[in-house]
Amino acid sequence: MSLQRMGMTPAQPGTWVKRSTLPVLSAGLFLWSTAPAQAATAGQHIEKQFNVSGRPVVVIHNVANGRIEVKSWKNKEVDVVGTQTSNKIGFEIEQVGDRIDVTANILDAAAQPLDLEANLQLTVPEETELQLKSETGLIYVEQVTGDMKLESYGGDVHLKEVSGYIIVKTTSGSLVCTQCAGKLDFSSIGGNAQILQPQLDNVNLMTTTGNILFDGDFVRTGLYSMKSGKGLVEVRFSSTDSFDLKAQTATGIVDNQAAAFLKPDSHGVKHIASKFAQGLVGTVGMGLAKVELSSYSGTIRIMKRD
Amino acid sequence: MQCKDIELVLEQEGLEPLPEEARAHMAECRDCRSYVADLTSLVDAARKLPSEITPPDRVWISLRAQLAEEGIIKIPAEATRAEAAPFWESISDFFRSRALATAMVGILIVAATVFQVRRSRTAPVAPPAQTATAESAPQKAAVPEPSEGFDRAARALDDQEPVATGMIVASSSPVDVSLRDNLKKVNEFIADCQRHLKEQPQDALTREYLSAAYEQKAELLSAMIERGRSIN
Repeated sequence: MSLQRMGMTPAQPGTWVKRSTLPVLSAGLFLWSTAPAQAATAGQHIEKQFNVSGRPVVVIHNVANGRIEVKSWKNKEVDVVGTQTSNKIGFEIEQVGDRIDVTANILDAAAQPLDLEANLQLTVPEETELQLKSETGLIYVEQVTGDMKLESYGGDVHLKEVSGYIIVKTTSGSLVCTQCAGKLDFSSIGGNAQILQPQLDNVNLMTTTGNILFDGDFVRTGLYSMKSGKGLVEVRFSSTDSFDLKAQTATGIVDNQAAAFLKPDSHGVKHIASKFAQGLVGTVGMGLAKVELSSYSGTIRIMKRD
Repeated sequence: MQCKDIELVLEQEGLEPLPEEARAHMAECRDCRSYVADLTSLVDAARKLPSEITPPDRVWISLRAQLAEEGIIKIPAEATRAEAAPFWESISDFFRSRALATAMVGILIVAATVFQVRRSRTAPVAPPAQTATAESAPQKAAVPEPSEGFDRAARALDDQEPVATGMIVASSSPVDVSLRDNLKKVNEFIADCQRHLKEQPQDALTREYLSAAYEQKAELLSAMIERGRSIN
């Protein structure tokens, strides 16, 4: 806890602080250490570290404009760094057992958007549960294992090498999920979803006007559902994959560019042509995973990767 | 007909009118009668939810007494009478400001209930060798009108839309602009699905998308009200 961090200048070497100033300094230090961490001033950053014993739960709500970045380390500590562009935002950080709550609040509702930028950077143990909420900023999570719920109105969500039960909900923000594992639920109105090199065994993607791209392997016995109201749903699979496929659209089209690899479903229930939807049903390999693609008026594209 | 068939009928056809076979089964099956009765009462209760609830004064009085009894609030004896009105008003305002959100919860209950009951299973499709083309001929006379459940949900949401959008109408924050834009997108999508369902009322896939869009609209309106409340 240095004096510089308090915005003070330390006494020069060889000089003595007057005795009368010591009680004031002590009181100041005491107050600084016990006050909530919402006193950061313009352009400053605030940093706090919390020791945890088990698997921590980190809850962040950033109501200001700005990003939330979460990375992991081997330490049993949660490190929180907050930066802000003005004193019109306040950080509230508290620890209760292994739960750490971080909130960036707007202190002046009349402030201009440029003054309302607050970024949060966290370093957490590898096994951590996350509940993150942002307004318009990016949510970035890397190398974290644990259940996570990530919500944003307009911000994108980028995940890299995360695993667990992952719930992502946005209004218009997009999801990019690279090398994710476990279970993924994504829902959005205008956001896109890109799932790249996944090891996910349960996927539910739903967007009203956005596009969906799934480029990777289907885990055997996995369940995959991808739906877009008006957007493109594109799946790129490899020849070693094994899955049953059902694709259907009400008014869109199914663009099957992998007809050579798609056999009629020999083990499933009998499929009767719908009067109302265009679609196809088929099997790749043994049909061990189950893949359901649908779009109301968009295009469903099925491709094999090179 | 078995119990699971009743669930299927409810999923596909809704609560009423139930087919003769279903009624015959229910006459002999207490579990199914109870299940349908529960669903009916849930839907009825949701329908009766008013758009705003203003609790009577006695609620505030008993609440205040309870809080005082538990030591959560202290009221100076002398000041009590003089300051009673502002005190009631502040608590009343506290809850009244949440009444709109409560209304939205009501909408969500209505929507969720109707959609759960009405949601159809995904329509079967053709094998790859026989990729089906869209049936262009519209379904006629024998086909029922688009479900009442959708209409009710749509009306409930339409009623709340001006309230919700009005609460953030003056805001130029990126989030509020985004909420308005997305509401427009969802409304357009709903209109598109409704047009399609008028031509092909039994299109299960479109119904599925329409119900999802209503849910999204309810969530958007709820978010608008929540944000509007925090601004105001």
